[in-house]
Amino acid sequence: MTNPIQPRLTQVFRFVRCSYADGVAELVYAFDQGEELIERVRFPAAPAVAAKRKHAFEAALKLLHFVAGVSYYKAGVPPKIELANGPLDDATADLLESLYLHGLAEFAYRNSLDLRGRIAFPRSGQPSGKVEAETLHLPARTLVPIGGGKDSLVAVEAIKQIGGEATAVWVGNSPLIAACAERTGLPTLNIQRELAPGLFELNRLGAWNGHIPVTAVNSAILAVAAILYGYDSIAFANERSASAATLEYEGQQVNHQWSKGYAFEQLLGNWLHTHVAADLNYCSLLRPYSELAITRAFAKLTPYFDVFSSCNRNFKILGPKPADRWCGQCPKCHFVFLALAPFLSKPRLLTIFGRNLLDDETQAAGFDALLEYHNHKPFECVGEGAEARAAMYTLSQRSEWQEDALVARFRSEILPQLDITQLALEPWLKASRVHRVPARLQPALAAIG
Amino acid sequence: MQRNTGRIVSRNPDRETVTSNASAPLTAGAPWIVMKFGGTSVATLPRWQNIRELVASRRAEGARVLVVVSALTGITDALKQMCAQEDKGKRIEAAKAITQRHYDLLDHMQLAVPDALGARLAELAKLAEEGPAALGELAWAALVQAHGELMSSALGAAFLSHSGLPTQWVDARECLAAVALPNQNERTKLLSAMVEAKPDPALNERLAKLGEVFITQGFIARESQGRTVLLGRGGSDTSASYFGALLKAQRVEIWTDVAGMFTANPRQVPGARLLQKLDYEEAQEIASTGAKVLHPRCLSPLREPRVPMLIKDTNRPELEGTVIGPEVREHAPSVKAISARKGLTLVSMESVGMWQQVGFLADVFAQFKQHGLSVDLISSAETNVTVSLDPTENLLDSDAVAALASDLAKVCRVKVIAPCAAITMVGRGMRSMLHTLSGVLAEFGQLRVHLISQSSNNLNLTFVVDESVVDELIPRLHEMLIAAGALRTDDSALFGPSWQSLYGSREAVVVGDAWWRMQCRDQLLALGAKATPRYVYHLPTVRQQARELKALTSVDRLHYAVKANTHPAILRALAEEGFGFECVSPGELKAVMAVVPESAPLLFTPNFAPREDYVWALTTRATVSLDSLYPLEHWGDVFRGREIVLRVDLGRGLGHHEKVRTGGSGSKFGLPVEQIDTFLRLADTHGVTVRGLHAHLGSGILDDKHWGEVYGQLASLAERIGSVAFLDIGGGLGVPSHPGESRLDIAALEEVLRKVKSAYPHYKLWMEPGRYLVADAGVLVTRVTQQKGKGSWRYLGVDTGMNSLIRPALYDAWHEIVNLTRLDEPATALYQVVGPICESGDVIGSDRRLPEAKEGDVMLIAQAGAYGKVMSSPYNLRDEAEEIIIGV
Repeated sequence: MTNPIQPRLTQVFRFVRCSYADGVAELVYAFDQGEELIERVRFPAAPAVAAKRKHAFEAALKLLHFVAGVSYYKAGVPPKIELANGPLDDATADLLESLYLHGLAEFAYRNSLDLRGRIAFPRSGQPSGKVEAETLHLPARTLVPIGGGKDSLVAVEAIKQIGGEATAVWVGNSPLIAACAERTGLPTLNIQRELAPGLFELNRLGAWNGHIPVTAVNSAILAVAAILYGYDSIAFANERSASAATLEYEGQQVNHQWSKGYAFEQLLGNWLHTHVAADLNYCSLLRPYSELAITRAFAKLTPYFDVFSSCNRNFKILGPKPADRWCGQCPKCHFVFLALAPFLSKPRLLTIFGRNLLDDETQAAGFDALLEYHNHKPFECVGEGAEARAAMYTLSQRSEWQEDALVARFRSEILPQLDITQLALEPWLKASRVHRVPARLQPALAAIG
Repeated sequence: MQRNTGRIVSRNPDRETVTSNASAPLTAGAPWIVMKFGGTSVATLPRWQNIRELVASRRAEGARVLVVVSALTGITDALKQMCAQEDKGKRIEAAKAITQRHYDLLDHMQLAVPDALGARLAELAKLAEEGPAALGELAWAALVQAHGELMSSALGAAFLSHSGLPTQWVDARECLAAVALPNQNERTKLLSAMVEAKPDPALNERLAKLGEVFITQGFIARESQGRTVLLGRGGSDTSASYFGALLKAQRVEIWTDVAGMFTANPRQVPGARLLQKLDYEEAQEIASTGAKVLHPRCLSPLREPRVPMLIKDTNRPELEGTVIGPEVREHAPSVKAISARKGLTLVSMESVGMWQQVGFLADVFAQFKQHGLSVDLISSAETNVTVSLDPTENLLDSDAVAALASDLAKVCRVKVIAPCAAITMVGRGMRSMLHTLSGVLAEFGQLRVHLISQSSNNLNLTFVVDESVVDELIPRLHEMLIAAGALRTDDSALFGPSWQSLYGSREAVVVGDAWWRMQCRDQLLALGAKATPRYVYHLPTVRQQARELKALTSVDRLHYAVKANTHPAILRALAEEGFGFECVSPGELKAVMAVVPESAPLLFTPNFAPREDYVWALTTRATVSLDSLYPLEHWGDVFRGREIVLRVDLGRGLGHHEKVRTGGSGSKFGLPVEQIDTFLRLADTHGVTVRGLHAHLGSGILDDKHWGEVYGQLASLAERIGSVAFLDIGGGLGVPSHPGESRLDIAALEEVLRKVKSAYPHYKLWMEPGRYLVADAGVLVTRVTQQKGKGSWRYLGVDTGMNSLIRPALYDAWHEIVNLTRLDEPATALYQVVGPICESGDVIGSDRRLPEAKEGDVMLIAQAGAYGKVMSSPYNLRDEAEEIIIGV
């Protein structure tokens, strides 16, 4: 199958159509007059869509079509976006333009592109009214997306602790996530997302490639799932520092995890209230907390230590060894190691990772980047530099860590340049008040703190 | 008493089927045999029938038999859960389920519930009903758990008696008295008790009056106040040993699911060999340093009374098993086993001049005691003492290490090093073997070794290294120990078959199936009579190997790595089989293009090639691969607009010899993973598309899982690069050379690859086998020139050597050598087979058992089809070996 298109020279990105039948959503896109790109999202054991939720379902599905389009749009970044089903109201267009611009900011930076002024969804001019969508009386239960890392497991345990009804849900077929989901003991829901095969073909033909706001895509999938199966809440586990920009590039904030940030959470949460269901809540349970507060909570969850991984490498094949879950090279490995260290016994921490990353001189550059020493924050979902510095400072004061190569280096080389009053761990463990957690789930916040 | 020398008679009693009814009655002084059967061995009717046969055969040897049993498999856990259950109703329910398990087994045996068992079941029900209140938590739990063995032994007594082997039930608690030890708390007193077992003639006499076959319980004993106690971990084996000592038995037999102790953990080293003879100390050392088959504590009761222990496989009683006894006679010193213990934490303490102060060390160790950490290994230098801590709960889940470190930091510099693993080689007289370990020690030289320990009992040598290296290191060290003659697997009195050949699914290499041995022998003799040296290649073998690999349906394209053998007939045959060709130089490309059709795909995979090689290769149809930044940095224009393959170095190497490892920083091949981003940026700059990713970690690899790992790692790298369409996982498919080595399991390899492919279906999979296709297809035929005796050494000269075949000299490669003229004569001579080259390294094979040879005999060196002729040289200006193709 050859696609004659030169992806980087395309002129129009078209949202062709979306449909749903028998648990399968089909999302169709195209560049110029090229072949249709068909993505399929499979919802297992899907019930029939209840009549009173039909409108909400349609709205959520439409949003999914627009949001998931970002994976395809970025292959060509053509100057024009076309919608087969007519223009959008302002609220929807604002949401999508924000998402495409900020969610692709890192992608743009890496490829030396400037997307500002380039992304325009056709608008009807209809102002976004202050109308609420209908209240659907969705069942009081929560979809908790599982990512395989520590954060979602902290969220799960918090909800379990308050006796909340919840389902562990994940998109795709990562065996690591499946293992974590199983370990939660919750009912599970595994939704499959099949990218259009044509996208791989476009990649081979030299498409633009890079980071996309995958949390936004998963959020939109879960919104559809919440209406389909009946859940009143979607509780992500995005923490406070996800809102911080990674760097600034030609006047634009670049945040690797923008779709995990509070700005997106508010945009999508409000949009769901006005366009899908007044009683469908989209929130992050960990929003009030820093990474360090979360790692402290996670440090008590011993049963997950041999299954979880926050490593950025996509482990599609699982093995029994720590090295089969933790690459030990990426910023996520570095950060989670550092952030857990103050809260776990050193031998226990090292059994999780299978090695001591802080006693390995070759990892110095990676940890420097975390500490924002010599370098900007790495493009990964990792905590703020100040948190990393606080964790490192804590270790540097502990006898069992002091002699490790990178801790010793921190003491002799980096610490003298820092203001010790800014390095305390405790302030990071306090919760902020900023969050959108609905009343029903708020007791879970206390369980984390 | 009968003789009790610790020797097991060599005849194999397991083959005989005898019933005790047929045997003459035993005298009062007849010897005892204690036989212990574990939980899975007593859980089903067929297993009990098996036990009956085994017991009868021991009785027929003229011995009284005491059978020690564990609880039915799963019952001890069920009883433990019942103990943890606070709800009475649920306890009663649990007791009922446990009762039902025993009823079900009785049903299969078509037996009514025997009274003895009925009484036990009733008591269990009562214990469930009452709960711990009356007896106290721990005593109640011990008594509840003891019921597993009480019930299984009662059931066994009924079955054995019913099947014609009158069996007396013995309450172990009447025989085993737990001793009170200092520092014992109530928990250890009741749940991990100790028994002092010395030969007890009175017990012996008392039982001898009662009968000939007895059954009793493992795991339980009685303490001074009359309460039932448990023996803790490894308890049933320990019970058997206690009984063996009390009765001064002829031997104790531990019947389990494996034939004994092995030279390494078979899960890590499938080629591990069965250890047929060990002394108590060696066995205890092996059990303590990793082997799971025995708990180390169960050997000490037997040592003083010199009662031997025999480990046997219940399912395979015909296998010899492991005999553990007193040190009988001096064998040539040999390493017996290599093992690894993971999860260690080291505490390294550095101080100048303090260690010699009186009491300083005592103060330091007092800190460990205070924080509840027990020290295992210790090593010291003038300024440093390093100790190891085992992975206990206290270590892992409390702040003990942090507190210890901060206390120690007041008097010395502390470093906590983890996770580590202790690699231990065990063997009596370890120090006398050090000279054979140079290769092994060199291997450690490449690692971070944190601690070396060698105890004064001279039984072990331990290296503590980073835990992450252990899984790959152990199999390699095991192989090196054998190759170095440190682990003397040639001593068949000590070393039995490999685990692989006993339990593995792979077919072992069978002598006699090689094409040259039967089918083509006469033809080869005729060729050899005419002229030598000659390489002879058997094309049907090449085709057969090719077809085997074509069965790998996950592999989308196979390239023959032509460097192994560039004979045109072989190239043509493989082209006909649909292979592509992997070439590393313009010369190879030209040789291939001269004989294969235009349609055959070509790969050009050079290493450190000059610019003009790439320029030329890009004029051909070959797919070109790059493995460094330099070509794009400096000759970017050469590659502009091209599609290339990127060869990466995944950071580790594998293979049978240092010189055939092609991955890892010590190797010149491949782009390091951390440079990939830079490479991609350069590629983008020059409009170069990375179409494929390639990694090749070495040669001679026989472990199928390895390719799965390489494949998976390449695929996850490829996900970051949109343009990649195929992954090339290289070659290196091992060809076994030593007798007893197993072939690569192609079906298992297919399964491994299929699994990765289903996770990454969008990448095509390529491979590049070389040696696998041609090694077995070629032999080097040579003739005997002369012989020489030098001391006890005998040299057999042949008319070619390292000039024709350099692998033995270069890689220590082992090639089978036969005297084709005298293939059927007994191999009575021990030869060093040498060539005519003026180099002391010109040895083709050392210590080879061959028939007495005569000048002119035709000798054959096998597996010479790969890297033979292609690596030959004109050194000494000897005539080169001619190449002949047969079986076209």
